[in-house]
Amino acid sequence: MRAILPRQWILVLAGLALLVVAIPPSRGAGHRVKLTGEVIDSWCQTTGIMFALGTAHHQCAIWCAVGGIPVGLRTSDGTLYTILKVDKDKENVANPRLLRLQTHEVSVEGDIIERDGLRYLLIDQVMDDHGIVNQTHADNGIQPYGE
Amino acid sequence: MRKLLLILPLLIASPAGAAESWGLPGEQAASFAGIVVDIQCALTRDCPKDCGAGRRQLGLLKKDGALILAMKNADPFAGATRDLLPFCGKSVTVDGLFTSNEGVRAFALQRIKPPGGEWIAANGFVRDWVKAHNSSEAEEWYRHDEAAQARIKTEGKLGLGPGQ
Repeated sequence: MRAILPRQWILVLAGLALLVVAIPPSRGAGHRVKLTGEVIDSWCQTTGIMFALGTAHHQCAIWCAVGGIPVGLRTSDGTLYTILKVDKDKENVANPRLLRLQTHEVSVEGDIIERDGLRYLLIDQVMDDHGIVNQTHADNGIQPYGE
Repeated sequence: MRKLLLILPLLIASPAGAAESWGLPGEQAASFAGIVVDIQCALTRDCPKDCGAGRRQLGLLKKDGALILAMKNADPFAGATRDLLPFCGKSVTVDGLFTSNEGVRAFALQRIKPPGGEWIAANGFVRDWVKAHNSSEAEEWYRHDEAAQARIKTEGKLGLGPGQ
């Protein structure tokens, strides 16, 4: 077998270095998804202590997001995802971006990580914001205090 | 409901006994030990200093490896970040409630106890809010918070536009 000269080694190592840089870092257990659903207050949704969807719950959802309760995404099949990141913003407590999306129906692309019974969502891109489409106040009033 | 939300901090301030019932679906009182962690850090290894300094959801990593998101604290309409943040990276014992609904199991934090310390009621959000706003409106902080007011003024209570 022909010996590899020092100069060729340098080229091989440089090629390997470029390959490493080109591969994005792994997120471990996460997998890629595209989801459409309503941005919601995860506590009220999870507990079911008040009607937590759509216009009936919009004010409460704002209060809860400002108070630091996790904001979630609920898809039409009832699955709840806890949002940890939106675009490049990795803050998830009282995040103004999430506050502006509260109660909106959005389509997003990102990664989900399931751990101990919860589904966490890291949104890379909000592809579409349909605004508030779930008008529930006629049937459910304004939750929780009716005012 | 409103009365319940307002008396919760008083109930939790009681030093004796475990978590108080809140009448939640599938409610289960729980007391367990764990290390306070930034949830995003625990899942992705993206770990800013100080668990995100109050800007990230926090939880508890139990000895058996289970990661518990603290979704709620004992204040009305508030999460648990402010209560857990002082113990970032440290072991604590917590009291609270698990609640299950629609296949999701969530944890509400009621009290925290550092090793060798006393139980602390998990109502840090309103405590900090009152200090930051120099306000006496603790009972209904959410009606007086500028960020919440600004959004509701812009979007209306229903989110359909100003005044709606």
